[in-house]
Amino acid sequence: MLGSFSVGKTSLVRRFVESIFDEKYHTTIGVKVDKKVVPVDRQEVALILWDIHGEDVFQKMRMTYLRGMSGYLLVIDPTRRQTLEDALALQARVQETMGPLPWILVLNKCDRIAEWDIDLERIRSFERSGQAVVRTSAKTGEGVEETFSRLAQAMLHSPC
Amino acid sequence: MAPETVYDALLSHEAMALFESSGGGVFTPLAALPAWCDLLWQTRGERFVRLSEKSPFLENFLLEAEQFWTSRAPGARNSGYWVEQDSSGNEFPLEASALWLARKPVLLIRHLPGAFQEQQQVFQSARDALLTHERLVRETEKKEILLHCIIHDLSQPLTSMRSCFELLLGTQLAPDAAKFAMTGRRESQRQERMIRGLLEAFAADLAGQQSPSQGQALSADLISCARRSVEQFAPAFTERGIRLVLAPYWDFATGARVVGDAPRVDRIFGNLLDNALRYSPKGSTVTVGLEDGGATLRAFVDDEGPGLPKDSSRADLFALFGQGKDRPGKVGLGLYFCKMTVERWGGEIGAENRAEGGSRFWFRLPRAAREASQSPASPRVAKAPAVPVSLDAGTKPIVKRLRIVVADDDEISRDLVIETLRARGHSVTGVGDGAAAVAAFDRLKPEVLLVDQHMPEMDGLDVARAIRQKEKRSGAARAVLIGWSGNSSAEDERRAKEAGMDALVGKPFEPSTLFQLIEQPVPAFQPETVSSVAAPPEDLRTHLARMTAGNDKLARKLVTGFLADFPRRLSTIERAVSSKDADELASAAHSLRGAFSIFDAQKSVVAARNLEAMGRGRRFEGATEEFRALSDDLSRLERELRALFPQLSSPTKSQLRRSRSRPGRKR
Repeated sequence: MLGSFSVGKTSLVRRFVESIFDEKYHTTIGVKVDKKVVPVDRQEVALILWDIHGEDVFQKMRMTYLRGMSGYLLVIDPTRRQTLEDALALQARVQETMGPLPWILVLNKCDRIAEWDIDLERIRSFERSGQAVVRTSAKTGEGVEETFSRLAQAMLHSPC
Repeated sequence: MAPETVYDALLSHEAMALFESSGGGVFTPLAALPAWCDLLWQTRGERFVRLSEKSPFLENFLLEAEQFWTSRAPGARNSGYWVEQDSSGNEFPLEASALWLARKPVLLIRHLPGAFQEQQQVFQSARDALLTHERLVRETEKKEILLHCIIHDLSQPLTSMRSCFELLLGTQLAPDAAKFAMTGRRESQRQERMIRGLLEAFAADLAGQQSPSQGQALSADLISCARRSVEQFAPAFTERGIRLVLAPYWDFATGARVVGDAPRVDRIFGNLLDNALRYSPKGSTVTVGLEDGGATLRAFVDDEGPGLPKDSSRADLFALFGQGKDRPGKVGLGLYFCKMTVERWGGEIGAENRAEGGSRFWFRLPRAAREASQSPASPRVAKAPAVPVSLDAGTKPIVKRLRIVVADDDEISRDLVIETLRARGHSVTGVGDGAAAVAAFDRLKPEVLLVDQHMPEMDGLDVARAIRQKEKRSGAARAVLIGWSGNSSAEDERRAKEAGMDALVGKPFEPSTLFQLIEQPVPAFQPETVSSVAAPPEDLRTHLARMTAGNDKLARKLVTGFLADFPRRLSTIERAVSSKDADELASAAHSLRGAFSIFDAQKSVVAARNLEAMGRGRRFEGATEEFRALSDDLSRLERELRALFPQLSSPTKSQLRRSRSRPGRKR
């Protein structure tokens, strides 16, 4: 789970693994590892989820955390346009270090779509270029299961 | 068994688990492992522990640890915090370190709930503050945009009204009618200044930029403000059968100058009087007065109305969008504006019920320092109200033929000014960029320079700075330097003044305004006396005639230039929109806006302004629709211009192609 602070990475994991959501923001320090088994193509796949702290001036991400990674969700908060810029910069660093891996751009907080402040045309151009983009809400659960399943499937079928 | 040495005590500490690497991913506990190890990894009874199989995080970190042990580097390699969870869901914040201890490769894992929690609290506070800051910035942006829209919408009809009064005064009017027209003109000008003042006040409040010390430099005569406000409101009160009087005690031996600037003090009086007018019954009296409070002066407005509701508080009365309970009110901006402005100047505002009935609204302002009122640098608005712009200025003969340099990268705007000034009898040289303006200054020694604010490479501010430096070095006479811009906000004015300009005018402006500006000495930077004049809602022919001072040849030249030029500019914008070139979009939209602003094409102006803003903000959402609106309105303008000048030939296909294929300038 990669992205800026307070975009909802931990909330997405908690919604996915424990089916709970907490309205209050609890910042993540370091890494928390979770596990969930999901069915993919009639087989069970154990997803080891690394919920890594958001990047900001206080905490930079250690690229060593990414060793052994099979894919990632790049999460943004569309109500804060800077999180898209930060996420894309982070993605470039990740790709440079890890090479091409399956990843999905996650537009979280879709329950607050009226407050979205990002250039949707840019998002559409990502989609047109074939990049996987999903809309989720950790609060309502919308799109959460599907997003993890889709990434699991992509990782399973990835040649990387 | 009690530990025998400090080392043993350390090893038996509940916070730490110490392992020796035995190679091959196997670790040997160096002491009894703490209980949390067993809770997390079921290590009880294990003499050798395969840690990488216990924790995915450790599996990752141990690769790094092995490298460290192999390299025999000094110090230690830390993992940073990670959180493990036991089967009951309890969380354990841990940190691992690889190090050499007594020549053994050792892995130390520490359970650090206290330090972890402390760091989390610090980061949580910092990130909460960052989120709050981001939210405030976004809200401020939205409010500023909304305010600019409101001000823009309010200003449009007002400038039209003012222009109509100007035109009326240019005709032969009966004395009574002239008096009414002059009153109308004066009031519309006053209202324009108020709108601008309101916008500035709100912008300063939103941005929190204006410090009290800036306010200290201002001073206003409270007596004059009160008297002016009473005079202005007297007719409205009379019409409603209410007496409006000044309290008899006025003559303060120490003067009545307070911190504040006169137009906004007028506005405060105006809001309080407006309030009194709404709530006063017919036949009652409203009294405006002043009281000497030593270091402060207090102004009050007393009415004989129903008084303030018992449950109303000061906070409610002066809140943003607060409206009187069960009373006819407006949107609730007036009293909020009063409070905000008075407090910024270090004053206080309040309201109370009077013992004899009715209410008293009052505000108190600190007395201005004597030097503040006499300082030549202090704004002159209080002493010298804005000079009304009159059409007379354009018809009076010129006293002196001036050498003038006009610098603008927009050919159409430049030609309009050059031709207008030449027709007036001045000697005018036009240049297309900032560097050429400075060169022309060296060569021609002009008395006046008119410089566009936004030019490529060297903008108007750079030109002003360069010229002022040259004057300083050579001891030459100071030239009059006037900037003009499509955007003339308070911030633009401040920057223009700092760069050494004498005035800043908005585009487009009327010939009379321009003549008055350059043919009279400009004593100090005073933007309010030279504000731009937007075109009134009139037919295109009349508008063009007015903008060119009736010079048909010039009008034809401008139209020809525009018709030949705009397809290329439009095509540049279209290209910038489709290729998402933000810089090109901002530059081309700005440039095109300058070109057609003289044709009174309001829809196009709005669309181009929006496109320019999109370019500057690097946001393209809705850009296609704005471009379509711009293109449609310019097609309409083209049809109307061709209908006005039927003798102008339609462009040939090859001309159009040539025009479209020229590369757009990039700012």
